Amino acid sequence: MLLTPRGSRDAMQATGQKKGDSMYRAACLLVAATALIAGSALAHHSPVMFDQTKQVTLTGTVREFQWTNPHAYIQLLVKNEQGEEQEWNLEMGASLYLYNLGWRPSSVKPGDTLTVTIAPLRKGGNGGLVMKAVGADGKQIGRSAGAPQ
Amino acid sequence: MKRLGVVCVLAALCACTEQPSVAPRVERFAQLPDWSGIWVADGLEPGIDGFSMARMPAFLVVNPEAPWNEATTAKLQAELAKNPGLQVAPAAGWGYPLMMDGAPPLQFLITPEETVIFNTYRDLRHVYTDGRAHPPDEDRWATTWGDSVGRWEGDTLVIDTVSVREPNKYFGVVAWLSDQAHYSERLRRVSADRIEGEMTIEDPATLTRTWVIKLAYKRATGWDRLIHDSYANDRTGFDGQFYTIEPPTDPEPTQ
Repeated sequence: MLLTPRGSRDAMQATGQKKGDSMYRAACLLVAATALIAGSALAHHSPVMFDQTKQVTLTGTVREFQWTNPHAYIQLLVKNEQGEEQEWNLEMGASLYLYNLGWRPSSVKPGDTLTVTIAPLRKGGNGGLVMKAVGADGKQIGRSAGAPQ
Repeated sequence: MKRLGVVCVLAALCACTEQPSVAPRVERFAQLPDWSGIWVADGLEPGIDGFSMARMPAFLVVNPEAPWNEATTAKLQAELAKNPGLQVAPAAGWGYPLMMDGAPPLQFLITPEETVIFNTYRDLRHVYTDGRAHPPDEDRWATTWGDSVGRWEGDTLVIDTVSVREPNKYFGVVAWLSDQAHYSERLRRVSADRIEGEMTIEDPATLTRTWVIKLAYKRATGWDRLIHDSYANDRTGFDGQFYTIEPPTDPEPTQ
């Protein structure tokens, strides 16, 4: 689940704050900003660069897996509609967070076939944020956050 | 008999110069609770994207439960108008109080003299439990992690923290508390795999009332050790509007 300011408007109304009240308007402004900035607290930059309302699925060949901090990256070679191979820059969380979810530096190797679900870059281009990765065997790599080990 | 007397005198002298027994400290250790292991804030385990979590960290400035006063709200509105992402220079860690409700896993190292709390981003707190007080006001200055002293009330760790530099100066989206904020925590291991407690924050400069935040940690299942690393591969750029992913700096050509 992505971060959302869930329940915040209801919470303000429950405390007796009404429309027209200056504090209420101020609070609404803060809540509106939540979706924009909340993610900043989770990593060293904001996720606003990615369009998280969209999901794109890519299948390609791994050129490189960078197991690094503050982000890990997969360099994935993907054929476009013209059959030309293009390289995608795919960002992930920090290696320490991937480790918690069962990933290891050897989880993805150059030459592997990989299918990833990404939130694409908002401004376009061959890049995105990896939400899920599936190996050639059809199995998800690692576990989802919150799922049992 | 004379020889025996000399031996007795020597034995007595040795006893007088012997170092104090370590037993009392070992006994004090034995009375402390066992919080060993790695702990993660409940609901804040991130996905492989590094962003998605089940809930927001409590200490974000946009937490609707934060009782900001009018002056702070107005100041925040003005800042949002010119800096919508509330970005500041990238932080090397999470800082206090965000580290107590953040994604990085925590460890509590408990000794009779202090409890050390730290995470994978080297956010580090020394909570002195040896009876000392905070330094006097004139000898204290605000730091990113503040000054903490504590005590054990049974199996509950009670922490008092002051002199925390405005947290949002370190991590832009964090609570807009002043250097004068006073933080009190109570933490207790309630079961084998869970620590619970709360933090209360008093800051007349920014809050209308005491802000109470519930804290909960569950034993980590995925981390079998704390892993530390530097920002050795930061490919994040900025095009004037959005952050970008810069190409890899490896020798192979990229598109």
